[in-house]
Amino acid sequence: MKTEHLLFWVAVGLYGLSACSYIFGLISKQDKLFSLGLYSALAGFIPHVLVIALRWMATGISPFITISESITFGMFSAVLIFLVFEFTNKKVRPLGVLVMPVAFVLMGWAGTLMKDAATQLAPALQSAWIWVHIIGAATGFGAVLTAAGIGLMYLLKEKNSGGIYGKLPDTQTLDNLAYRFVAGGFILYGLMIVSGAFWSNQVKGSYWAWDPVEVWSLISWLTYGIYLHLRITFGWRGKKLAWYSLIAMIAMIISYWGIPFTMETFHQGFRIEH
Amino acid sequence: MTEFSKIPRNSGNKSGGYPVFSSGNFIINTLRMIYNFLSSVKLALGLLIVILVCCIAGVTIYRDKRAWELIFSTFWFNGILVLLVVNVAFCFFGRIWGRKVTLISFGMILFHLSFVAMLGGIIYNSLFYFHGLIRLTEGETLPNEHPQSYDVLNRGRLFDQSRLKGETTLIRMHTKYKVDGEDKMVAYEIAVGEGRARKQGIVYITQHLDYRGFRYYADREGYSLLITLHDRHRRELYGAHIPLQSFKQKDDKYLYATGTKDGPAPLAFPQDPQKPLFDLLVTYLPTPLKERAGDAVFQVWQHTMVPEEGTGPFAEGKAEIGGMVKAGNYHLSAKEVRYWVAMSVRYDPGQPIVLASLWVGLGGMIITFIGRMKRGSA
Ligand code: HEM
Repeated sequence: MKTEHLLFWVAVGLYGLSACSYIFGLISKQDKLFSLGLYSALAGFIPHVLVIALRWMATGISPFITISESITFGMFSAVLIFLVFEFTNKKVRPLGVLVMPVAFVLMGWAGTLMKDAATQLAPALQSAWIWVHIIGAATGFGAVLTAAGIGLMYLLKEKNSGGIYGKLPDTQTLDNLAYRFVAGGFILYGLMIVSGAFWSNQVKGSYWAWDPVEVWSLISWLTYGIYLHLRITFGWRGKKLAWYSLIAMIAMIISYWGIPFTMETFHQGFRIEH
Repeated sequence: MTEFSKIPRNSGNKSGGYPVFSSGNFIINTLRMIYNFLSSVKLALGLLIVILVCCIAGVTIYRDKRAWELIFSTFWFNGILVLLVVNVAFCFFGRIWGRKVTLISFGMILFHLSFVAMLGGIIYNSLFYFHGLIRLTEGETLPNEHPQSYDVLNRGRLFDQSRLKGETTLIRMHTKYKVDGEDKMVAYEIAVGEGRARKQGIVYITQHLDYRGFRYYADREGYSLLITLHDRHRRELYGAHIPLQSFKQKDDKYLYATGTKDGPAPLAFPQDPQKPLFDLLVTYLPTPLKERAGDAVFQVWQHTMVPEEGTGPFAEGKAEIGGMVKAGNYHLSAKEVRYWVAMSVRYDPGQPIVLASLWVGLGGMIITFIGRMKRGSA
């Protein structure tokens, strides 16, 4: 097995361990398992970063193009945001119970789709906009995934008290925290759409053509735009929004990796008909 | 100057005992109703949800072309978008009016304003734009102002035709084109304009050429064969550059032949306005060894207005580029290989407004976000 594959599956394995620790920690109400979960997530993050670096160094082509590369990078930013949040704000310890299973499952899926690194980048992708675009999409996803995780914490906290739940911040704080991550994710998605529009303008001369991938990204943006309006102009709080963010997260996974990548679009590079 | 005595404020509901005519109330009430409708937050949310649902339908139930025809290009869908913006204008600015300007509200104003400006840009553009698809064979020059120069042509109602000046020439198409080590695959060397203002440049996938606001973008390219007709003594009688279509085969390879986009087909030869002698299907087999070389396969039928089923070609043959194939009393040759390219030519005066408002909108969102973080931590 190549080093790259080995590292990849080590990362997946550690994320799996982390996911299980979080889930059992929650079921058995054992605080210590959360620590195990957090540290195995950190341990898994190291080979995860190495895989990306190795791929990049192998060919010099930024490895964010195919579906498995895209998921790998999306999970990189999701786990990164999660780790930074957990190590700086130690109050929401069970947060990994949503984030890590998602990272585990999606990374496992990416592993089965992995292909050799491309040796050349399709001409249409040779644009500086691609950076803003990809980073906006990946960090946007990381932010709304965290928000959904906090939403789950909110729902758990509301139903239960004492024990591990007693150590969670109060519902009001969780609610505010989730809102901030959604607002941040909304901005990052905005960045993804704006840079995508400029990129399309550079290549095709039009900034918007209702191409399926464009529409999918608009869907993610509108979804969170509606969240913000429900909150700010309609005064929704707490439970309803927590559910909304959980459902929206599923929609985000489908709208990024579920469907658009199976379609032949602009994003897969250009057909040269000769 | 006439002096009026002041009418006291809050004088109660009574109008000094005189009856009030209500003739204007109908109009006022209707206007108020329209205003209330347009400035309702519920309408805003409803519209956002409707657009979301349309988008989801447009990428799941219907796709691509069908989605474009049934949803995204329709009057009602675009009407909803316009209604949304009008609604933003009424609702948002109606509510925010007179509030203290804080970092948060300033960001929101920028954000919603950019939304309105964006629509303004789009409408402005739709009146003045020009989009054409121009197809040229290497060495060919076409006049810019002739509608026949374009395969596809769309323009806004107020587009000023006199803006189209000069002509466009495809000088040469370069393959395996590299820029700073990056493979751009193909590049078109073109010249646009008239007289001294003529501008020459290279167009490839991430680079366009701008001539007085008209932007030329690479779209697609293909082969074009110079087919010549010779008499029995092999004297050249006629010749024409014939663009070939590229058909993707099951094994992902391409077949290059005369025909339409639906498939290979014979065409009358010689071409209009000459009198056709036969129907000709030419297939080009490029060689990977050398550029612009390879073989050409000819299939020749009697020229019929309505092709009959089952009649085979009366002559068939294969020859290298430059070689000849016998067809009845004549000879045919694929004398030379050139490339044709299609470029999309765009003039979009509203675009800078739209693109700028995208950034303003993003900036507004970020300002609001910072404002909220500050307030949260305070
Ligand atoms: C008809 C369309 C719209 C109307 C009427 C509208 C109205 C409003 C209003 C009234 C506010 C809050 C101001 C306040 O009372 O404090 C607001 C905030 C906001 N709106 Fe809209 N809006 C519209 C469209 C949009 C769209 C399409 C988006 C993006 C999807 C959007 C994103 C936002 C954001 C991000 C905020 C601020 C959220 C925050 O404070 O963090 N709006 N909008």
